[in-house]
Formats: sequence, C-alpha cells, structure tokens
Amino acid sequence: MPNDPAIRPLDGLDPQRLGETRLLATRSVRDRIAALPFATARDIDELAAGLETLIVVGGGKLMDEAKYWRFTKSPDTRLIAIPSIWGSGAESSPVAVLNRNGEKRIHIDDRLVPNERCVWPELAESIPVPRARDACGDTWSHALEGFLSPLASAQLRSQLAVIIRELTGLPLTNDPAWFEPSAQACAAQAQSSVGLVHGIAHTLEGPLRKAQPEAGWGHARLCANFIWPVMEFNRNRNDKWTDLADRHELDEAAVFERLRDLHDPSVYDQTLKTLDAMWPDILRDVCTRTNSALVRESTRSWFLDRSFE
Amino acid sequence: MTNREKLRELLLDILLLDPSEFHFDLKRDEVETWDSMSVVAIAVGVDEDFGYHFSPEEAMAITGVADIMSTLESKGISFAE
Repeated sequence: MPNDPAIRPLDGLDPQRLGETRLLATRSVRDRIAALPFATARDIDELAAGLETLIVVGGGKLMDEAKYWRFTKSPDTRLIAIPSIWGSGAESSPVAVLNRNGEKRIHIDDRLVPNERCVWPELAESIPVPRARDACGDTWSHALEGFLSPLASAQLRSQLAVIIRELTGLPLTNDPAWFEPSAQACAAQAQSSVGLVHGIAHTLEGPLRKAQPEAGWGHARLCANFIWPVMEFNRNRNDKWTDLADRHELDEAAVFERLRDLHDPSVYDQTLKTLDAMWPDILRDVCTRTNSALVRESTRSWFLDRSFE
Repeated sequence: MTNREKLRELLLDILLLDPSEFHFDLKRDEVETWDSMSVVAIAVGVDEDFGYHFSPEEAMAITGVADIMSTLESKGISFAE
C-alpha cells in the first residue's frame, strides 16, 4: 500500500538496533508495556529533541501528538507506532489531528507518517466491546469511502476491494485481526478521500461532546452509526457503488449486513437534532464535497426521515 | 424542469450560492466557493443529473458555467432556452 509504514514484528523491537529509545503509552496499556525493554516517558513534554527512537503505543489521539512532536521538534527521530485500538489508522496516515484549546487542527504531510508500525495483538483484549465496534465502524468508513471516492484510481480501488472483502469476514468485536486491515484502509484512503460519513462525524463530534459531555461521543461512534445510512444514500442516488461492487466482486449483501449491524437506532436518534442544526456546516465540510454521491440541501431529509430504513 | 434549470439548481447547491448571485455567465474566479473540491462535486453532480462523466482534464479546464454548458452541448445535451 502506498505510504504505509514498514511493518515490524513486536519481537523485532531490538534495543541495540533502535539506539536511545523512549516509550510513550496511553494509560490503558501501561501495565502491558512493562514487558518492553525501553525507558518510558510519562507524557510528550518529557521527550527531548534528538532522541533516536520513539515508540508510541496508543490510540489515534496520542499517536497524532507523537507524530506532530516528531515532525516539529525532532524530525530525525525514528517513530514506531503500535496502535492500542484500530479505526483511526493514525499508525499509517499522513494526517495529525490535534486538539488545541478545544479547537481541532488538522495537519497533513507525508513526513507525519511513522517510519514503522507494529501489531501487538494482545492489546485488543483490553478494548471494551462497544468501543471496539465503533472502531470497526471507523475502519469500514475509511475502506468504503476511500473505495468510492471520485478521486480513487483503479489501482487503489483494487487494493481497497481486497481490504473490504477481508472486513466482511471479521466479527464486530475486539478481535486483533482488525489491526492490519484498519491500517491498510487508512493508508489507502489517504491516497483518495473520504466522504459524507466523515463530513458528518467531523461536524457533529464537537457539538455533541459539548452538549453531552458524559455520553462519550467521538468520531468512531458517529462513523459506526452513519456508515449504513450514508451507504444506502450513495446506493440510492447513483449506480456507482453497485457497478464498482460488481466489478470488484464484492458481496454487496454481506457488506450491507455488516453496516446494518453497526447501526444503533437509539444512538442515531440522539444525533438528529444536532445534524439538522449543523447541516449547512456538513455541506461545507471538505469530506462531504468529495462524497461519491452529490450531497445537497435536500439530502438532509434522507437522514431526518430515516429514508434508508 | 429544463436542462438550464437543472444546471442552475445543481450549481446553487454545490457552490452554496444565493439564487440572486447566480447567472449563466458566472466565472469560477468570481465564486469563492468554486474551489477544487467543488470541481469534484460538479463532476459528480453532472454525472448524476445529466448522465455525462467529465474526464479529469475536462473538469479541470472548466472556467465558468458557460464551459459546463458547452461541454455538455457537445455531447448532445441541449441548453436552449
């Protein structure tokens, strides 16, 4: 996959090869990282420029901070990414999304891609199942929106079709088999674009989090609950999905069955008031504008009236 | 709905224009929202509404509404009033 970092087995993290190394890990996996023979840093501010290797173990948020630190403060540092959950694809993406004073800043540069990535399968065990399901929705969104993107090349679509076939066979739970296709899907969609699912998620996650701080709203949960309605919209609006699925021998029924399984009507219902209020912003979002079917003012009712059901 | 009306509705939606801002001589550089993402959306919308798929070269060469109409007219889609 283009731009995907080199994959290294976990037991290939040899202290002698890596030189002066620091390990930065998210809180939920700190017990496990004691097994690795490296000094740890408690947070990003403890890292010194010029470090030879930084190993980051965590989700997208911590990984993006580490990527940005390396990019701005220590560009010669080797960055090795070990995801603690799939979905964001931060371990293979040229994007870093940073929260600064409540404001989201997005940086895109090929130099943000980690040098290497590892899969640590046992980390999946500590992921709560509902969170894992949402992460599966994020992965599905990257794969399908990248595949359908008007900017995708024929070669990229072929690569994403392989990933989509693999996802179709995976259970929507905390199964470590998700780590690899998630990283690949993200690396691939970075070569094309995402679409309306991401336009909705980017627009709604901040307002929903602010309105319901205890509800745990996040990007992945929105992706998981909107990928089915959006894919039904795409399929209804033009023949692109049907034609491409046929050409790449994708099992359309199996794909849509998975997407339906990801959708929780009670969660979806909680977003509708905000979606209605924020629709003009959704239309302006850059991801919405590269959706495979044209999204218009009138599309709002597709979601509010649940026309996909 | 005539093809002229269909195109007008399409561009109002994509470029997020007020109806009073639209005219058929509108140029890309006169519209702040007519950026590269809108070029992609116009290609998708023209495909859906007129059944013609712009090549990337055709899409990038569009400098205004008149270019869209002349390309589509060359494919047999009439915009006669």
